[in-house]
Amino acid sequence: MQDEKLSFEEALERLERLIAGMEKGDLSLEESLRLFREGMELTSHCRKLLADAEYRVEIILQDGEKGEYKGD
Amino acid sequence: MSEKQIFTVTQLSQYLKSLFWQDSLLQNLWVRGEISNYKCHKPSGHIYFSLKDEQSVLRSVFFKGKNAMLRFIPTDGMKVIARGSISLYERSGYYQLYVEEMEPEGLGALYLAYAQLKEKLALEGLFDDRHKKPLPRLPRKVGLITSPSGAAVKDFLTTLQRRFPCVQVLIHAVAVQGREAPEQICNALKVLDARGGELDVIVITRGGGSLEELWCFNDEAVARVVHGMKTPVVSAVGHETDYTIVDFVADRRASTPTAAALLIVPEKSELLRYLAMQEQLSSRILSNYLQKKRSLFERLVSSVALKHPREKINMGNQRLDELSYRLKRAVEQILKSKKTCLHNHGERLRALDPLQVLTRGYALVFDREEHPVKSAYGVQEGQLLRITFYDGDAYCNVLKVHMKEG
Repeated sequence: MQDEKLSFEEALERLERLIAGMEKGDLSLEESLRLFREGMELTSHCRKLLADAEYRVEIILQDGEKGEYKGD
Repeated sequence: MSEKQIFTVTQLSQYLKSLFWQDSLLQNLWVRGEISNYKCHKPSGHIYFSLKDEQSVLRSVFFKGKNAMLRFIPTDGMKVIARGSISLYERSGYYQLYVEEMEPEGLGALYLAYAQLKEKLALEGLFDDRHKKPLPRLPRKVGLITSPSGAAVKDFLTTLQRRFPCVQVLIHAVAVQGREAPEQICNALKVLDARGGELDVIVITRGGGSLEELWCFNDEAVARVVHGMKTPVVSAVGHETDYTIVDFVADRRASTPTAAALLIVPEKSELLRYLAMQEQLSSRILSNYLQKKRSLFERLVSSVALKHPREKINMGNQRLDELSYRLKRAVEQILKSKKTCLHNHGERLRALDPLQVLTRGYALVFDREEHPVKSAYGVQEGQLLRITFYDGDAYCNVLKVHMKEG
């Protein structure tokens, strides 16, 4: 899926637009399902990015406390 | 004769004065004579006198700035040589000698030689400040050129020992008066300078003496060697008032051997005190610096820099939760609306279902070919028909056909 390469902000923006489109409610069932599926994928992509970021912050903080942080 | 030019007294005086100025001999000359009418003008410090011999008198003035270097006290009747320039004193209308320097006549020849050499070397720039090398703050090893038997070496070493005991001294013994002295001194200077960086400073010294005794320090060759030295040279020759050529060429002049020792090393206790002060100062500066950096660092750590990513992640998660909720709700909404739509259509469809009518007591009739029979017209007696009720079928024979009238 192409969404893998999206940054968090890009994915989020796309997700927002997609939801706004769905909320207008003049879509075909087929189209709604496709959008829903894409929305779920974008959501999980964003969650993954956030979890990664959190993990990295965690490591940096730990290293910092041990005095070993040498930059990225 | 009618075209006589008439001058004012001032004009004439100025003209005469310009004649003096134009004469180069009168600008710098030595005059021998006997002092008379000697008068030191107390408030100003200027000295006024006349130089005379059997036939003539020359008025002379020795201004304060120039006479400070006078090495003797002139008195009436003293025979002297004086160097200076001749000019006109307009206010009184006489010419006079403006003295630059003056010596007792007995030493005249030597002094003249000294003065001339000094002038020559000064013109060559040997005395210029730009040639003066700085002395080391604390020399490790000092070269000393002097007579080993004189009082000078003892004075120097005693003072050095008292002030800073661990300074090493390398003594190069030379004659400090007499015919061989200049050559020995030159040689000693060259030998010590050739030791490279081993010596931090070289002191050349001698106790007091007459002008003749100090003469080797007015030697041109010695002066030139001193000038060419790589190691800084301190001269300390004679007493306070004795200025030799070497004094002018050396990097520093000390008035006496003792003064030379004072000049080249600091007092040890003073130096230690200074060091302790510096140490304190630097540790205070360092700890201030560290303190400042530490508080800056702490301010940074506790502020945005490290909190920032966490907060951003939290905000991201929250936003994502909202969107995820909206997404699900949107799709549920869509499904619900589709379902409602479908249900409505179902209802409408059901309303249109012909079978629905059968429940209300209607029935359908089909022929053998399963065509609906909508009219009595065309039905034959004895024909087989199927009657469909809401809950089943009945197969019948037509007994009779009766058409409605009209």
